[in-house]
Amino acid sequence: MAEITNNTRNEVKEIVYNFFADECEVDKSQINDNTLIIKDLDGDSLMFLELIEIFKKKYNLEIELKVIGKYSVKHPVATIGQLIDMQMLIIEHENQLLDLDIKS
Amino acid sequence: MPAPPLVFVFPAFSNDYSVHPGNDLKGFKEQFDQLVNEACRFHEFLPAGFHFQDNNFLDDELKTQYITYLYSCAASMVLRKNQRIPDYSAGYSLGLYAALYDSGSITLDTGLRFIQQAYLAIGESVKGQTSGMGTIIGLDRNDIELLIGKSNLKIDITNQNAPYSFVVSGIREDVVKLLYLANEEGALHTRTLPVSVPYHYHQLKDAATRFEKKTSHLDVFPSLNPIVSLIDQKELHTPRELRRELTGNLYLPLNWYKTQQWFLLRGIYRFIECGPSKSLVKNAKFVAPELRFFSLDRIP
Repeated sequence: MAEITNNTRNEVKEIVYNFFADECEVDKSQINDNTLIIKDLDGDSLMFLELIEIFKKKYNLEIELKVIGKYSVKHPVATIGQLIDMQMLIIEHENQLLDLDIKS
Repeated sequence: MPAPPLVFVFPAFSNDYSVHPGNDLKGFKEQFDQLVNEACRFHEFLPAGFHFQDNNFLDDELKTQYITYLYSCAASMVLRKNQRIPDYSAGYSLGLYAALYDSGSITLDTGLRFIQQAYLAIGESVKGQTSGMGTIIGLDRNDIELLIGKSNLKIDITNQNAPYSFVVSGIREDVVKLLYLANEEGALHTRTLPVSVPYHYHQLKDAATRFEKKTSHLDVFPSLNPIVSLIDQKELHTPRELRRELTGNLYLPLNWYKTQQWFLLRGIYRFIECGPSKSLVKNAKFVAPELRFFSLDRIP
């Protein structure tokens, strides 16, 4: 599992904001944690998949896509902030992501 | 130093032209209009007066196929006029007809006739059935095959686009069921495709036979550049090879992922998507970082 530092969330946030600004061709200043990915940015699930690939490479993560898929069904993401939260959980728990539901 | 090899790839059909990459390609509009007019002179079934913003005619699957074909042919003509000459080409599903036209193997008219005959032959085979296609992203082939097998669904995996990206075809009810099961299994994205027939489904073999007979009189010439098969990743040159691909394209599964790997293994990584969508450009991000895919509005 990747080591989570104080800086990790800022790093993730920066990547997510830059990614959506680039992909959706909007100014980064127009994006905040409450921005709705589909409604406000015209984003789609392929972008989500692309982001996962970016983070898998960056943090050398070992996680099966279907683990993320199963988690997403129970915890759907609508906003940029929720997406950042989920990415943090993915980085922290990798393939044990679904265990969070068992524990809670 | 010679330029690295270039591939023209012709995508499957698109039914949304309100925003399209050819709009930013100089000379495209004039070329497209010219081809549509030319085609309309010979085919009364063709949609004269197609308008990009209105998306008129696009509720009709066959007319949509004609428009995509003409669009792709116009795009590659403009590129060639601008000295973008492909070393190879590949046709993704319907894109095969435009790949053949681009490489000089068939005339514009012949391409339209092939499309028409394929549509009619397939339609006859699935008469009385409700068929469909869908995409599943996020599962691997084994996961999907297990889901199909467990529920005994009448479905084939008919294309693989990337390691975790698949197309399925078969009985519509079963496609819908499979997509539901795939979501439960953890697929990140599923959707049904806006088609009424299950292209590349094994049960279309009889349609392929009828298509072969009905089109045997149409001329097919050797290709100017090799066309790489999405069925078995072989280089196609001769009329015989090309006809075999045309027939197989109706009922055999494709593998776009393997085809991209075939190119990469040969050090070929530059592609231009000659068509109205950017779907293959987007897909390439999930295949290999070395791939350089350009849509018509982003050619360097």
